[in-house]
Amino acid sequence: MSKAASQPRRLVGHGMIRVDADGKVRGQTRYLNDIRYRNVWHGVVVRSPVARGRFKALTLDPAFDWSRVVVATAEDIPGENVVHMHDRTMPLLGEVGGELLYRGEPVAVVAAKTLKLATEAAGHIRVEVEELPPLLTLQETVDIFKKTPKRFVSMQDKNIVKGDLAKGFAEADEILEAEYWAGHQEQLYIENQGIVVFPQKDGSILAEGSLQCPYFPVNELNDPLQLPPEKIRVRQTPVGGAFGGKEEYPTMLVGYAALPALKSGRPVKITYERHEDILFTPKRHPVWVRYKTGFKKDGTLTAIECDYILDGGAYLTISDVVMFRGILHCALAYRCDNVVIRGRVARTNSMPSGAFRGFGAPQAIWGIESHMDAIAARLGMTPHALRRKLHARAGDTTPTGQVLSKENGATECLNLALERSQFAQKLRQSSRGKLRKGQSKYYGAGLSFFAHGAAFTGDGEAKFQAKGRVELARLEDGRPGVNIRVSSTEMGQGVHTIFTQIAADAFSLDPARIRYPMADTGLVPDSGPTVASRTTMVVGNIVHRASLDLKAQMEAFASLHFFRGEKARLENSQFHAEGRKPLPFGRVAGKMLDELGEASGFFQFKLPADIRWDQDRFRGDSYPGYSWAAHIAEVEIDPITCELEVTRVTAVIDVGRIINPILAAGQVEGGLTQALGYAVMEKMATGKDGLYDASRLQTYIIPTALDTPAYDIQFVEYPYSFAPPGGKGLGELPMDGLAPAIANAVEAAIGKRLRTIPITPESIFDALHDPSGATP
Amino acid sequence: MRPTENINIRFPKNLQEALRLQAKAGTRGQLLAGGTDLMVQWVSGTPPPRRATSVWNLPELCEIEVRDKDILIGAGVTHAFLVDATPIHRHLPALVAAAGTVGAAQIQARGTLGGNVANASPAGDTAPALLVTDGTVLLASLGGIREVPLTQFWTGYRQIDARPDEIIQAFRLPKKGAARERFRKIGTRKAQAISKIMAASRIRVRKGQIVSAAIALGSIAATPVRLTQVEDFLAGKPLTAKLITDAEQLAQKTVQPIADIRSTAEYRRWVTGRLVRDALENL
Ligand SMILES: Cc1cc2nc3c(=O)[nH]c(=O)nc-3n(C[C@H](O)[C@H](O)[C@H](O)COP(=O)(O)OP(=O)(O)OC[C@H]3O[C@@H](n4cnc5c(N)ncnc54)[C@H](O)[C@@H]3O)c2cc1C
Repeated sequence: MSKAASQPRRLVGHGMIRVDADGKVRGQTRYLNDIRYRNVWHGVVVRSPVARGRFKALTLDPAFDWSRVVVATAEDIPGENVVHMHDRTMPLLGEVGGELLYRGEPVAVVAAKTLKLATEAAGHIRVEVEELPPLLTLQETVDIFKKTPKRFVSMQDKNIVKGDLAKGFAEADEILEAEYWAGHQEQLYIENQGIVVFPQKDGSILAEGSLQCPYFPVNELNDPLQLPPEKIRVRQTPVGGAFGGKEEYPTMLVGYAALPALKSGRPVKITYERHEDILFTPKRHPVWVRYKTGFKKDGTLTAIECDYILDGGAYLTISDVVMFRGILHCALAYRCDNVVIRGRVARTNSMPSGAFRGFGAPQAIWGIESHMDAIAARLGMTPHALRRKLHARAGDTTPTGQVLSKENGATECLNLALERSQFAQKLRQSSRGKLRKGQSKYYGAGLSFFAHGAAFTGDGEAKFQAKGRVELARLEDGRPGVNIRVSSTEMGQGVHTIFTQIAADAFSLDPARIRYPMADTGLVPDSGPTVASRTTMVVGNIVHRASLDLKAQMEAFASLHFFRGEKARLENSQFHAEGRKPLPFGRVAGKMLDELGEASGFFQFKLPADIRWDQDRFRGDSYPGYSWAAHIAEVEIDPITCELEVTRVTAVIDVGRIINPILAAGQVEGGLTQALGYAVMEKMATGKDGLYDASRLQTYIIPTALDTPAYDIQFVEYPYSFAPPGGKGLGELPMDGLAPAIANAVEAAIGKRLRTIPITPESIFDALHDPSGATP
Repeated sequence: MRPTENINIRFPKNLQEALRLQAKAGTRGQLLAGGTDLMVQWVSGTPPPRRATSVWNLPELCEIEVRDKDILIGAGVTHAFLVDATPIHRHLPALVAAAGTVGAAQIQARGTLGGNVANASPAGDTAPALLVTDGTVLLASLGGIREVPLTQFWTGYRQIDARPDEIIQAFRLPKKGAARERFRKIGTRKAQAISKIMAASRIRVRKGQIVSAAIALGSIAATPVRLTQVEDFLAGKPLTAKLITDAEQLAQKTVQPIADIRSTAEYRRWVTGRLVRDALENL
């Protein structure tokens, strides 16, 4: 046996080039709007003209020639008029006689041979509504919550209770209470939403488009379309970014397109232009969060009481789970024995809020990490001393009663970030509202520390039982290789590459023989949606195990058919047996395919048997694993103009095993930049007309390359050993904690705490000129 | 279907040909230079015209001529060209700085000075820098050239003093001479940013005494504006710390800022004074 063969080549841990890079860099990848479909009709959604009103009538202009178009309304829905997400309140289309709950709520879909004709026809439909007074903003609902809590409408409540809050406050030397606000955030994927639905001869439908969760439409449209899951097939086209924006929303789009498609028997495609996409697809939930904390003079936290209210928009859709993740992160990272957290989802007459990278956690961490600095200031402690003392570590108990495992880089993240950035020194140099010698701008450094729960909340993964397969197949060159069959979607984050790496290592096979075709529910088992930072951790493990399964089958086959029963081993793309000449992978795989027709490995994910979760009381092990991070932001504020520049960000992160360090760093840089926008630029609210007030790229401002700070990104690895190769969640974490680090840095720079993001020159100006000047 | 699909665009070879097209209502088209304003407007609500006349690359519009006292800059000169035109840098530094803040590289390569001025957005970045030069606009028509002072050219929100048969041929901009110029743009981000406010100034000081002061702002009112009250207040006075503070306060008192999606009136009022201070402290 050669020496090389005894040391199989490893790809996990290395920066393998993205498997999808070539097509994307050359512009050869065909996104939905690049694909030339023949005989496809174009659909246009007709919407409610008011934020709230009684839907009186829908009338078609008799002067218009309707023979060339198809119009689908609620009456054309074959079954019950409902999109079955986390409740059954949202209709697929608004229904005459009913109430319309947000501006832009779909009431009809028009399809025609050309987009021009469909758009024209849509303009000849009159939607008659008797207007009712709307409740548009989170601010209004919070006012109600504070003044007349009984009148506050919550679509979902959930509380976390640990210890005895009254006792905690009684023990406290000091009590600090403060509120924090954040507005909407738009995902701003490059490729807008788009779906095409092909009605099939047997009455089923095939949908194809830009989405991140192919199985969602399969399971959420059965009632309205009267189609069982096996009659709704969904295929992913290459996705030009998603960030959660293509999680729940494409289900609705499939529903809208399916109605005229089923009615007319023609394929119907709906794609949005940017303006429509920004106006009428879900945003990150605005949040109001109030902390009341009790602590002792030495910094010990004795009590945390927290109210966390999200603006869910007009329908619940998936907001309950966003709120769950939010409250689970409200007091996650610190030691405290007495905690009460109350989560609510407020209803407003606006577009339902939805999934966005972080899923409630950035809103929670924005609050608690700002508040921790406020506590430190009250105590006269430094922010890092307080966090060093209080941060949760292995063996500590979370608010839901989970005991944190040893696979936990919390302390190392915090210490390393402080050290790499020389935070203590930088904090001393901070201006605190007075230019120091040599400073022409206010300078400040700020810290944040946090965890992100990886995978579905609670026993979600246990219940879901994600599954996946790898199979032998002849590749496009006719030679044998392996196909990865899971429903996880590539949306730019690199999953096609890292799963190729994971499979290649599990097999010990040349990655050039591995393919990862686009997810197609007709062909792939349900490995779950591509959400919740679960893909590397959960589905990566599935790919790993399924690959080992198929590898074992192949080794047995090789032993039997090629090595006369001698034990065979696949290593570096060759089968080895004691005393035998090695055989190439293709020889064995080819014979296997010839003899058996097919061969595949399979795995169904299970959580450790000792995981406990009580969904009603919200007690137990809230996540299978946790990623950890500490961020340090440095800012400069121009005293002439109050312009804010984030100059440097240090991020030390434990996301378990790093599969591909280059892609991982890319995820972090991208996520931090998205968080930068959330913190200092991206400003959007529901206007008086019920529409988002920044609805074009001209007015919705996200960072450009020139706005990004210098990034110092460092990983520390505490792998999740239960699920090799041991990744924990990475996707969302970089979005979670930069905003409070920046707010803390702003406080260090100007001596005032800003409690609303985004922090703009205008809000810094307001803070500096606020006569009350209160800043706990 | 694109909204721009059915526009009939003419491509005259020289200014004379373009002027002939524009002279008659029957052949007249909307003037189209780099298209970086128009293309956006046409796909976001403004109905596109039936006809357009391209002035992109018309030779007479692409010239820069440095003369004794002033500089002629063709309306078709792009922002990128201004940034690269080193011979004008020391004479018109504020304008060059302003051109360098328009959009980003792609927009600068395509967008023209004439387009920026004729589009007449209060947020046009070059406008304040042009205003402080006390220069003029040269409008060509078959009847000849009409010269209009820049201070009178923007007549209202998105309105200019130009007839339908006229084409902006060039700008005549006096050199700054011994004066100091400064340009600052406060955008929503570092590139591709429409400004919250921008300020340009051309101030001449001799022996500690302000000889003349021109200060202009954009994105603060319906048109780009000169701060004439502040200018008059400054002229002839010795440059002292007190003068700077007084000027800052006067600016804040006299300015009449708008509020919109990009900023608040309070911030604009305050920062107007700060920018006046900034200009005076950096002489
Ligand atoms: C992404 C993006 C970013 C931008 N950023 C900025 C920015 O930061 N700052 C800024 O100021 N602008 C910005 N703009 C706007 C635009 O680029 C500039 O105003 C540019 O200078 C317009 O020049 P143009 O040649 O493209 O004009 P066009 O779009 O061709 O024309 C604009 C107007 O001027 C008229 N016109 C053009 N030439 C003449 C002429 N010779 N005589 C008479 N009328 C004429 C046209 O009829 C039209 O009304 C941006 C635009 C985009 C798309």
